[in-house]
Amino acid sequence: MGESKLIRFLASNIPIVKNEIYQHLETFTVKKVKKGEILLRQGDICSHTYFVEKGLLRYYSIDKKGKENVLQFAPENWFITDRESVFFNQPSNYYINALEDSEILVLEKDFSEKIALKNKDFERFNLQLLHNHIRHLQKRIELLLNATAEERYLYFINLYPDIILRVPQHMIASYLGVTPESLSRVRKELAIKNKK
Amino acid sequence: MSTKKVELIVSPATPHFVGDGFRVHNFIPSKFRLDMKRMDPFIMLDYNSKYDFPASENPKGVGVHPHRGFETVTVAYQGKIAHHDSNGGGGIIGEGDVQWMTAASGVLHKEYHEENFSKNGGVFQMVQLWINLPAKDKMSAPKYQAIKNDKITKVQLANNAGEVEVIAGEYKNVKGIASTFSPIHMLNVKLNKGAVANFSYPKEYNTAIVIIEGGIKINNNENAPTDHFVLFENDGENFKIEANEDAVVLVLGGKPLNEPIAARGPFVMNTQKELVQAFDDFNNGKFGYLE
Repeated sequence: MGESKLIRFLASNIPIVKNEIYQHLETFTVKKVKKGEILLRQGDICSHTYFVEKGLLRYYSIDKKGKENVLQFAPENWFITDRESVFFNQPSNYYINALEDSEILVLEKDFSEKIALKNKDFERFNLQLLHNHIRHLQKRIELLLNATAEERYLYFINLYPDIILRVPQHMIASYLGVTPESLSRVRKELAIKNKK
Repeated sequence: MSTKKVELIVSPATPHFVGDGFRVHNFIPSKFRLDMKRMDPFIMLDYNSKYDFPASENPKGVGVHPHRGFETVTVAYQGKIAHHDSNGGGGIIGEGDVQWMTAASGVLHKEYHEENFSKNGGVFQMVQLWINLPAKDKMSAPKYQAIKNDKITKVQLANNAGEVEVIAGEYKNVKGIASTFSPIHMLNVKLNKGAVANFSYPKEYNTAIVIIEGGIKINNNENAPTDHFVLFENDGENFKIEANEDAVVLVLGGKPLNEPIAARGPFVMNTQKELVQAFDDFNNGKFGYLE
């Protein structure tokens, strides 16, 4: 586990990664998933949080017409789970799949509680992560309610700098809540405006 | 002057598809000991060994993608490729042609099987190389060298032994047509069975051979079969190739740039900061636009 991105992620955010964190991390399993593999299906109870060491996962729903709606991408160093299912024990309304061959850490639902009990720095950092997550969700609601396609795109590339090159455009359009044609138009207009 | 010995003969990796039009074995940087630093300035080599593509109404290939910080060199042995870029450039790379694209500060491009080739299907074989640019040239203006086969300098070997196409650098004091940013030799060597050709590069030059057709013997003792990659030690200068059967090989020799490498996806820069800038520029449309 010495090479884990999760360890590095925590170590770069918490003054000292105490031994108890290492001990916990050593119990986590590393899972290799193939591109296209589904980790969570609608109707399942989600029992884990995933941390992406390498690759890219996607969290999405499928509506009644069969259309996929992307809620989140999770590249390297991101956590991904269905909170409603994992923390409220509800059958999931969502799917999680791999968009690339990936390596992920499979974390038990109570992993953060257990470490937080032993380590105050981790507890503070974990709370900060949660606040940050909610902050992004609030921003996303605001963008979906009243922002232009360009404003949504500009926020997206700031949040996910390298995703545009890794996923099909229709998935990015889905995340942004715009049509693929609108996304294409936004990118073309930006290019005209910004080309040196 | 001493012999440049073979360090490693590398068998082709399991092929993967780039887009749906290129079925390639990657040698650089993924194979053991063929990482970017070791092979500097050759930082990527994909080899599409002979593959028979069925006829297709819609040309197969790779959609729009960016590059920054290096050059892409496509050597077509069989089949034809059409390409387009965000500066309005484009063209067809036919059999025996070489396309030398200096992506430098950045282009968007796409590469597909040429329309007629696609409609009829057929055998496709090519090499795509990425050659790193010196730091001072990474942000220079993009350019193309579309090198048709009839423009490639050819050196006839004595006794009807075969010929050497000098794509870049030189062979026996005959210079190739391609201009390069750092010292590079790139040769297509075509030898008849039993023929021998000699080469000499400085010891620090990273040197390799891709066996395109037939099989060869190197320095009298190492046999390399078709579709294999030969890496030479950075010691000694002279090496000899003998054709066990009619053979075509791509010979590469390059002086290492010895600069820091920061690579991610289609961008190869010197620092992480420059990589972040590349993603940012791409996301913001600074590479232009291409449908």
